[in-house]
Amino acid sequence: MSEAQFYTHTIRAGSIKENDEQRTRSSFITDNLWRVTGIGLVVVLWQIGVMTDWINPFLMGSPVGIAGEAWRLIQSGQLLNDTIATVYATVVGFLLGSILGSISGLLLWFSRTTARIIDPFMVALNGLPKIALAPMIIIWFGSGMLSKIALAFVATFVVALLSAYQGTHQIDRNLINLMRSMGASRREVFTKVVAPASLPWIISAFRLNIGFALIAEIGGEFISSDRGLGRMIFVAGNLFNLNVVWVGVITLMIVAIVLYVIVSQVEKRLLPWEQGQR
Amino acid sequence: MNSSIAVPISPNAKLNDQEMLRQSVISLSGVKKAFTSPSGESIPVIEDITLDIKQEEFISIVGPSGCGKSTMFNIIASLLEPSDGSITLRGRDPACGARIGYMLQRDLLFPWRTIIDNVCLGLEIQGVAKAKRYAMAREQLARYGLADFADQYPSTLSGGMRQRVALIRTLITDPDLILLDEPFSALDYQTRLVLEEEIVSILKEHHKTVVLITHDIGEAIAMSDRVAVMTQRPTSVKKIYDVGLSRELGSCLKARSDTRYQRYFDSIWDDLDIQISGAEQ
Ligand SMILES: Nc1ncnc2c1ncn2[C@@H]1O[C@H](COP(=O)(O)OP(=O)(O)OP(=O)(O)O)[C@@H](O)[C@H]1O
Ligand SMILES: [Mg+2]
Repeated sequence: MSEAQFYTHTIRAGSIKENDEQRTRSSFITDNLWRVTGIGLVVVLWQIGVMTDWINPFLMGSPVGIAGEAWRLIQSGQLLNDTIATVYATVVGFLLGSILGSISGLLLWFSRTTARIIDPFMVALNGLPKIALAPMIIIWFGSGMLSKIALAFVATFVVALLSAYQGTHQIDRNLINLMRSMGASRREVFTKVVAPASLPWIISAFRLNIGFALIAEIGGEFISSDRGLGRMIFVAGNLFNLNVVWVGVITLMIVAIVLYVIVSQVEKRLLPWEQGQR
Repeated sequence: MNSSIAVPISPNAKLNDQEMLRQSVISLSGVKKAFTSPSGESIPVIEDITLDIKQEEFISIVGPSGCGKSTMFNIIASLLEPSDGSITLRGRDPACGARIGYMLQRDLLFPWRTIIDNVCLGLEIQGVAKAKRYAMAREQLARYGLADFADQYPSTLSGGMRQRVALIRTLITDPDLILLDEPFSALDYQTRLVLEEEIVSILKEHHKTVVLITHDIGEAIAMSDRVAVMTQRPTSVKKIYDVGLSRELGSCLKARSDTRYQRYFDSIWDDLDIQISGAEQ
């Protein structure tokens, strides 16, 4: 053996970063710090640009202008009213569409024939941009809240139906065999296997549907409406009041985030067995 | 085809006499099964199984991989219909002949149910009240050292623990006939030995009839009254050994150290005619 050189390497407690929880918590803080800094930087540069005439506030709006309009709209209560109108129609349409769609999709498990027959219609409807139905739906339901609810409903129903039905198809056959070997009826197989096993697919459709419901609802407001954030943006846009447009857009983003967080919380409640697996 | 040949090694005459008197729980006669391939041709999987399983008997099925053992279980559990032949079940339940507890090849726990709710599944289907089935389940979980895991989800358990849970789920409904499809395959050797012993003693204590599919020849010899060796696909019963070592000696571990154990092992190994490479398709 040749004269070997020895290296020592000592592993001490705490020398390996293994505490995931701690790491995610500290990265949560630094990540947000970066985010806030980024936004702040954009806002400051934007305002400087406006004040030095690099940016045309008539076409772009300005941070100070946006803040002023926001304050005015909050004070007058108009922002709140429009937000409530939009959120209400979106949420009602979204819930009705997603829930009824999911239930219909699950029930299709009972009848393969029905599923096979309606399959091409569902695929066609799924591909159709639902906003194309808006003129018709507004004729049928008027320009008020009801047509917006109906639009959010059609936008979410088919997605939920297809997703739930697909969920029923991904079930391990052996789980159903096991139930049958225990003497379970078809209904028991449905309630104890098919429905819970499809729940992850249903929840993921709910997530997607928040976006679809908002698109349909706002689109409907653009076409014909008497209130709502979509109408506020549309009217302000026509008047070249970019600051108000920005207020509407930012409010919509906040609404979307809040709805998304709510669905995520519901998911945690409904899928407790999937927690800690991510 | 002689499906039930005489014992090649030291038959236990007394046991056989008793066996003759016992009623059969299940008899398969001339059972055949062929699957239809996607291209429409018929693939024979079970050539002919004729087998009589007596009350309180522990019989093991060993055979080459893919020969049709699980298919046979699916037929016994009436999940599949035989292409030909008949199956007679005798048990307490007049509606279906015998209540069957079937532990499928994988543990198949429901991921959305807690351990205790998984264990309770069969009882729930039978309509046992919640308080009662929980009490039964807790007792069994405690017996298998799983009491602390009752309210957890299966994903947090090790493979061995999951298999134990599946086993409890199978046994808790007190079936007439128990079908176990490789129940110990995910367990380490020590756990396996302990569980073998435990299962055999529990089943004997409760006078259960058991059919066990296993790839482990030693396990089959150590636990069983009889071992049926199957042929390649399309399968039939090649030989039946009247082993009965664990019953005679009172323990699987003792059975494993008996001199006859090795002779059975060699004989079954020869029957299986296992080719390491180039197994026929
Ligand atoms: N539904 C089915 N359709 C077509 N072929 C099938 C079907 N189920 C099983 N087979 C085929 O039947 C054969 C026997 O399968 P089976 O699962 O019964 O084997 P096995 O003896 O249990 O194997 P292993 O020891 O690997 O578990 C296999 O070749 C399999 O591909
Ligand atoms: Mg198998």
